[in-house]
Amino acid sequence: MLKKIWKYLSSMQFAILLLLILIVSCAIGSFITQGQTFEWYKEAYSERAAALIIATHMDDLYHSPWFLVIAGFLIANLLLCNLIRAPQLFRRFKDEQKIDKALSESVTCSFHSVDKPGPVFAALSMPKPVKAEADGKKILFSSSNRIGLWGAWICHLGVVLLILGFGLGQMTHEDYSLYGVSGQSKQVGDTSYICSIDSFRVELRDDDTVSQYRADITVHDSLTGNSQAAEISVNHPASLFGYKYYQNSTGWAARVSVIKNGSLLQETVLCAGESLTVMDLPELILHFNALYPDYVFIDGRGPASASGALNNPAYLYTLYYKEQLLGMNVLMEGETITVDDYEFRFSEPQNYTILQIKRDRFTALAFAGGILTLLGIFLAFYLQPRKVWAVQENDGSWTVSGLSIKSSALFREQMEQAIQRSQNSNT
Amino acid sequence: MLKIENTLFTAVMLLYFASMILYFVFIAVKNDKLSRVAILLQAAGLVLHTAALICRGIGAGRLPMTNQYEFATSFAWGLCLVSLIFTYRFKFPMIGAFSAPVIFLIIGYAAMQSREVKALMPALQSNWLGFHVSTAIIAYGAFGVSFVVSLIFLLREKMQDRSFWDRHVPEKEKLDLISYRSVCLGLLFLSFCIISGSIWAERAWGSYWSWDPKETWSLVTWLIYAVYLHLRIRRGWKDRSAAWFAVIGFICVIFTYIGVNTFLPGIHSYK
Ligand code: HEM
Repeated sequence: MLKKIWKYLSSMQFAILLLLILIVSCAIGSFITQGQTFEWYKEAYSERAAALIIATHMDDLYHSPWFLVIAGFLIANLLLCNLIRAPQLFRRFKDEQKIDKALSESVTCSFHSVDKPGPVFAALSMPKPVKAEADGKKILFSSSNRIGLWGAWICHLGVVLLILGFGLGQMTHEDYSLYGVSGQSKQVGDTSYICSIDSFRVELRDDDTVSQYRADITVHDSLTGNSQAAEISVNHPASLFGYKYYQNSTGWAARVSVIKNGSLLQETVLCAGESLTVMDLPELILHFNALYPDYVFIDGRGPASASGALNNPAYLYTLYYKEQLLGMNVLMEGETITVDDYEFRFSEPQNYTILQIKRDRFTALAFAGGILTLLGIFLAFYLQPRKVWAVQENDGSWTVSGLSIKSSALFREQMEQAIQRSQNSNT
Repeated sequence: MLKIENTLFTAVMLLYFASMILYFVFIAVKNDKLSRVAILLQAAGLVLHTAALICRGIGAGRLPMTNQYEFATSFAWGLCLVSLIFTYRFKFPMIGAFSAPVIFLIIGYAAMQSREVKALMPALQSNWLGFHVSTAIIAYGAFGVSFVVSLIFLLREKMQDRSFWDRHVPEKEKLDLISYRSVCLGLLFLSFCIISGSIWAERAWGSYWSWDPKETWSLVTWLIYAVYLHLRIRRGWKDRSAAWFAVIGFICVIFTYIGVNTFLPGIHSYK
């Protein structure tokens, strides 16, 4: 019984079943929006469907226990298959160049009464044949592409490394996000690193579309006191202290000043989405909702921006006092809002940057897996082993035979043509 | 340049249409000469198509592979190229005959898309873009050929007029081999495409695989062709199941390309 299970686990039948299950699961996962709540699915589908999705972990299908189990089985299946096949492959690899093996094997095709076998080898692009003798008969033998025998094996190993690298990376990766304007410094998650945004630029083309987001950053290790600096932009991340820094996105920020009885009480740079608590009246909060760089008011739609350029900046804010909404409005550059003794003003609109900071120690493993998979596929498909040999008969003519397991139909045709060409050139 | 591209594109559509009609007539009246003319028209279409793509590239100042229109026209180009190569290599005009309607449908789809040239967003400005998309074009073209050859494989027995089919369509063993060779080409290039896409995504977004619908569907396609290979090894060429998988595989290719953009938006949706 155990032997049967073992055999099934390493079988190709099981492999096909696993691949089919993976195909269906991946397809299902692509149709169900991932990472939503029960309420969301209830709204989108129905209560029953939502319950089913949550119960079967289809809300996070690609990280669900059952998906991991399938991936685990695939790894086991691939490893077992490779383990079992390795000794056989090694033997076949060695035998590929043995003449006696070829003579005793079945052949793809054989042609008798060939006058000159040399041109046949050349026409088939085989390596120069070696000469030998068996049972008193002269033999010419050539084999090529035996490395191709390892193609599927290497490809399978690559897939295993790819899945392992990806899975381990998912389990152990660190992922932080950080935002700020030029001149700000912030801690990277809970690490000992402080990231300073030295400068941030949004580069525009003539038509006002964005050509690049570029940030100069310096990362300071508060444990060792060392610093490293780099310029990052979209598609050009930088590695600092083993973490990769990505220029991920951008948003608008502005300086907010709070003036009390005519003198400046407090001033800070706020990114859209952030709030400011008034220093000496913490119940009074100003929330900076959004910035419209090129403000227009569209009937039926409300405030909007005509372009991405800073032509006519306007600031959407909300004010709260003791958690009660005091008001929400749009403020133009230079205008102020007054609440009792306090006056609020927005100025210096600028872009802030959003950085993504990542560390995945297993990316290299997954990458190596990918390269091996590619290499294996190439070897399996484009270096298919083939052998050609010629035996001289008693009448002096030759019998030319060939063997190609994977492409026999094509190989037979190529041999026919090669034989014909060599016969024609003789006549 | 873009005006020239427009004119060339119309000429290409006409040539592909004419070659498709000629192929149909070739099958209907069984005149071998017609197939040769159809192949020539298709080849002429391909030459003009190449010129149109070059004009588009020069006009836009970048590789013409970044939006739905550009990819559709490149996809048709890839299928036409691979189908002509296989038609020539295996001396098998039926590949061209069966590919012609598919090519025409894809180029027709391209014609319905907006041809506006838009500036590239920063994430798309990468040297990987060209490699990623060109490998996809060859892969899709090769899968298209395996699709038509597998259809011929599945239809072969059902054909009544045996003499015509026997003359123009190889034995099932060879059909299987042609389909296999095109799947090999397709899978190799699809693997290049997925891996280069992952490297690019890692540089642009910091994550080399994020289960974006397009990524997921390219994996589904890749796995379907893996099933094809194993079924073929397990059951041999006489079995029809591998051929069915080659057909399903290409349906997935089309879905990955058109369906995902339409129904499942993500970072690849060119929006
Ligand atoms: C994602 C998973 C897999 C991929 C991408 C894959 C890929 C391949 C490729 C490219 C070939 C060569 C086919 C050819 O030359 O026509 C192959 C052959 C093969 N595969 Fe897989 N495979 C996978 C899973 C498996 C599994 C799980 C098994 C376990 C039994 C398996 C068993 C085999 C065998 C026995 C061969 C024939 C080897 C040969 O001809 O030398 N494969 N596979």
